[in-house]
Amino acid sequence: MPVWDPVVRIAHWILATCIIAAWFTRGATHDWLGYGALGVVALRLLWGWVGPRHAHFGEFVRSTAATLAYARAVVARAEPRYLGHNPLGAWMIVALLAMIALVAGTGWLSTTDRFWGVEWLQETHHLLADALLVLATLHVAGVAYTSLRHRENLVRAMITGRKPPPRAGDVFE
Amino acid sequence: MKRGLCLLAFSMLVGAPMVRATGLATCDSGAPEGWQPQEKLAASLKEKGWQVRRIKVDGGCYEVYALNEKGERVEAYFHPRTLSPVPTGAKNHKG
Repeated sequence: MPVWDPVVRIAHWILATCIIAAWFTRGATHDWLGYGALGVVALRLLWGWVGPRHAHFGEFVRSTAATLAYARAVVARAEPRYLGHNPLGAWMIVALLAMIALVAGTGWLSTTDRFWGVEWLQETHHLLADALLVLATLHVAGVAYTSLRHRENLVRAMITGRKPPPRAGDVFE
Repeated sequence: MKRGLCLLAFSMLVGAPMVRATGLATCDSGAPEGWQPQEKLAASLKEKGWQVRRIKVDGGCYEVYALNEKGERVEAYFHPRTLSPVPTGAKNHKG
């Protein structure tokens, strides 16, 4: 059944492409990839407001207590399958979007006359990019683990937008 | 798919730092003992009317972030032995 709308999917893959490509480039190409990523983050946040149900952040971002309870269930191998994002995946989305904004923001700032060549800002930009790489790796690992656990291909779901319909014990959100 | 994802996660942590984008030029400049001081480069650029923001070593070259005499942002490379400009994209520039 359809879960991820086209805006969510396209935003996801544009962000992934921008981040990977920015890692390999410098100069004008690198800068434009950063502006692109920042724009997509802004659009995704807006879409979380006006988009369909499964795009809403309020639909999948859970309280700390609920997220910890889910994490304990994962450790106990008793976590339910979520049709949308599970609570850990949801917080990873928030962390990734925030980190992308920080990386792109510090990158843009270091191209302004005021902050051009300012060492601490350049170093901050690099450290944040390293942190983004670690988050993205955890994200991919989480997708692999969840796909294995619930026997569904989450990568394909993010391409086609479709997921197997809810089974008994699944969470619909 | 899971194997592919695990491979991807692994290569992201182990491989990505190795293939990170490097500088805009590289210099064949040997040991730093034979290099001219960064201060000398900074002084000569200031004389040209540049506002030097940062000089660091990148790819064996001196990499300079500055505002030039027209107030434009420049990221320029210089050979540490000769302090002559190194064109962007140069590989193992001899100075």
